[in-house]
Amino acid sequence: MKRTLLTLVALCLAAAISFAGGTTQSQTAKRTTATGLDISQPVELQFWMLGDAPKDLPAIEAEVNKLAMADLNCTVKYNYTTWTDWSQKYQLLLTSGQPIDLIFTAEWTDYQRYAKAGAYKDITALMPVAAPVLNKFVDKSGWDGVKVGGKIYTVPAMYKEYVYDGFEYREDLRKKYKLPEINSLATMEQYLETVLKNEPGMVGIAETLAANQFSAVMSLTAEMLHPWLDRGMPQYGLAADNAKPREMFPYWGSAEHLADLQLFKRWADKGFWSRSILSSTEDIATMFQTGKLALKMAGINPNKFATDLVAIKATHPEWEIGYYPFSRTTGVVHPVHPTHNGYAVPAASKNPERALAFFEKMVTDKRYNLLTQYGIEGKNYVADNGYYKMVGDSNTNGFGRESMNGWAWRNPEYMLFAPSYDAVKKLFAEFDKVATPDLYNGFAVDYLPFQTEKTALDSVTAQYLAPLQAGLVPDVEAGMAKFMAEAKKAGLEKIQAEYNKQWLAYCDDMGIK
Amino acid sequence: MGKKVRASKDSAVFSAVAYVVLALISVACILPFLLVVSASFTDEETIARFGYSILPRKFSLEAYGFIFKFPETIFRAYGITIVNTVCGTLAGLFLIAMTGFVLQRPDCRYRNKISFFIYFTTLFQGGLISWFILMTRYYHLQDHRLVLILPGLMNPFLIILMKNFIKASVPHEIIEAAVIDGANDFRIFTDIVLSLAKPGLATIGLFLALAYWNDWFTSSLFISTPAKYSLQFYLYNMLNNTQAMRQMAQTGAAIGVEAPTESVRMAMAVVCTGPILFLYPWVQKYFVKGLTIGAVKG
Repeated sequence: MKRTLLTLVALCLAAAISFAGGTTQSQTAKRTTATGLDISQPVELQFWMLGDAPKDLPAIEAEVNKLAMADLNCTVKYNYTTWTDWSQKYQLLLTSGQPIDLIFTAEWTDYQRYAKAGAYKDITALMPVAAPVLNKFVDKSGWDGVKVGGKIYTVPAMYKEYVYDGFEYREDLRKKYKLPEINSLATMEQYLETVLKNEPGMVGIAETLAANQFSAVMSLTAEMLHPWLDRGMPQYGLAADNAKPREMFPYWGSAEHLADLQLFKRWADKGFWSRSILSSTEDIATMFQTGKLALKMAGINPNKFATDLVAIKATHPEWEIGYYPFSRTTGVVHPVHPTHNGYAVPAASKNPERALAFFEKMVTDKRYNLLTQYGIEGKNYVADNGYYKMVGDSNTNGFGRESMNGWAWRNPEYMLFAPSYDAVKKLFAEFDKVATPDLYNGFAVDYLPFQTEKTALDSVTAQYLAPLQAGLVPDVEAGMAKFMAEAKKAGLEKIQAEYNKQWLAYCDDMGIK
Repeated sequence: MGKKVRASKDSAVFSAVAYVVLALISVACILPFLLVVSASFTDEETIARFGYSILPRKFSLEAYGFIFKFPETIFRAYGITIVNTVCGTLAGLFLIAMTGFVLQRPDCRYRNKISFFIYFTTLFQGGLISWFILMTRYYHLQDHRLVLILPGLMNPFLIILMKNFIKASVPHEIIEAAVIDGANDFRIFTDIVLSLAKPGLATIGLFLALAYWNDWFTSSLFISTPAKYSLQFYLYNMLNNTQAMRQMAQTGAAIGVEAPTESVRMAMAVVCTGPILFLYPWVQKYFVKGLTIGAVKG
């Protein structure tokens, strides 16, 4: 009996160890590319992307490897971080010094901070040598936008899109009660009032935010009342006028701030949102989907609107969904900043030239690009009158459109869109007329100098500002005074001074006047 | 006489109170689980509108349909978790028991120093980054199936528990007697120690098995090929992925698939806990004994 146990243990260990596999690579003769890049050594590139790998990735990878072996004498391994704890993994991948050849960058993955810390290779001089076609393909504003300290660390994506917010509402309800078209705060207010009065069980506005904050309505006034208040502001209470971007001024505590908070109080008193909104964990998407919510806000950009249109049509074909982009009121809209989607070569890469040459292929070579964006033609998708059409549905097809999360290697010349995207294109065409470049979103403040103050301020905003924004404080003026006093105690002035200093340095760096 | 009656009356009262309290506690334990099971069979829209209920208001298998959308992948994840749990628990038990046996032998010269060294790691650890670097750059275990088994094999807390357990349940005299009878150390370990330490092995085996069964973090950190995910990570990640897709703007195409998140979450809990529940009745009788022995003598 003891013998069998021992044998079992030994077998288990042996079985576990036998999972270990090895690959061997063969040598080939000396080779160079047309541009003179030495590719005589075969290499395997480690390619990292955020999110989840599509189910059929191995098949696509095999196809790409066939092409890459012939063109560049290399193979690629596509790795995915999954969305679980992605930011922690992203940091580990860069700090552990693992040999990685290509990794995704974005302003929301802290591109600036990592670039400054030396996590990526400086590719300013390398680009024209290793990837001359791609180097020309990306225009000057793209290269200028991603510069950190005058150097280039990432290859920006060239597809121009707008990730600009707005809100969705029930157009069928608006028509039912014969309300005027929603195009201002006043008409929005009228819509909410009527719907709440006549549709029992419905909620006006909702928000789920982890940090106990209520900022959805903030974006309403910020975007619709104040053309000077840009997306993502106020940052630590600071805002800047688009006409004079260098001058950051304090919005918190100002007369405008007080007026906004009083407006929120009025809305809260009218019952536009639940009294327990600060502790609500209900999912807004589900609420809207099930007809419980009258107005859906928070991150509703044109793409999401198009997605929702299809989703609602599937479950409630009798509804009609309206969309109002904030920028219609203010006329202020920017295409995404060049740092929004990019690919960098991490400092630990052993094959930076080959990595860039391969990335050039993925963007500019139609075979690579279509394969990694849409899959294998005929098996995963078909091009139908210039539109993208999936073969089967998401349950049977293992490689959906852009399911490799290929935002950063989109090539506008090869892109295929689904018919439902026409709604987005229409909005983009509208934005194109008034769009100005995004000045602010390439800047990420380094908060290490005021880490302690930031933590203190975060708890002050959660405690005092959130209830004010949710309209739950009876005396708004006194509440705001209290918040300002607490924020000052937490070190608001120090934070703002440091923020200003860094912002001006960034402006000088990027030539913002 | 009268005293006796009173005593039995007291004990009757005590029993009644005890039964009521225990029944309440059991209900408190079972109710949430029932809610979970019921919610997993409830229609997503009904949950959003009316909240959870003990009996499904509107029966739906949508959540399970979503989880088992690609049955082969989830069964593979099940297989990997079972292999990890079985291999890891058996190998881990063997190694931990062996370490514990050696460390409690009075004739092992450096036993206190080694014990302290092991104990020390429970107080001061290298942290996540150094662990990650060790695993990926020195052991080259990135995306390797062994990474799901190896790190969990030896656990300092369990080694200390095992050491104290063997010390308490195997008198040194038996070992001396066995030596006189001509048994070598390995024979003593396999034939005497392992059979006398069964309650301890069951306890520690259960700890190990639960740790392997519930482990999602190592998969999350090191595994990048979906075919190698463990069950817990596969499910957890599925949920995270649908939430991320919701927040993310889909450029160029509208997928229009809304995953039933609330009921899926509950169905996942059912799928995860189901099999491991069967382990408890098996080892329960050892479990109670083993835990207290180790604890009291510790």
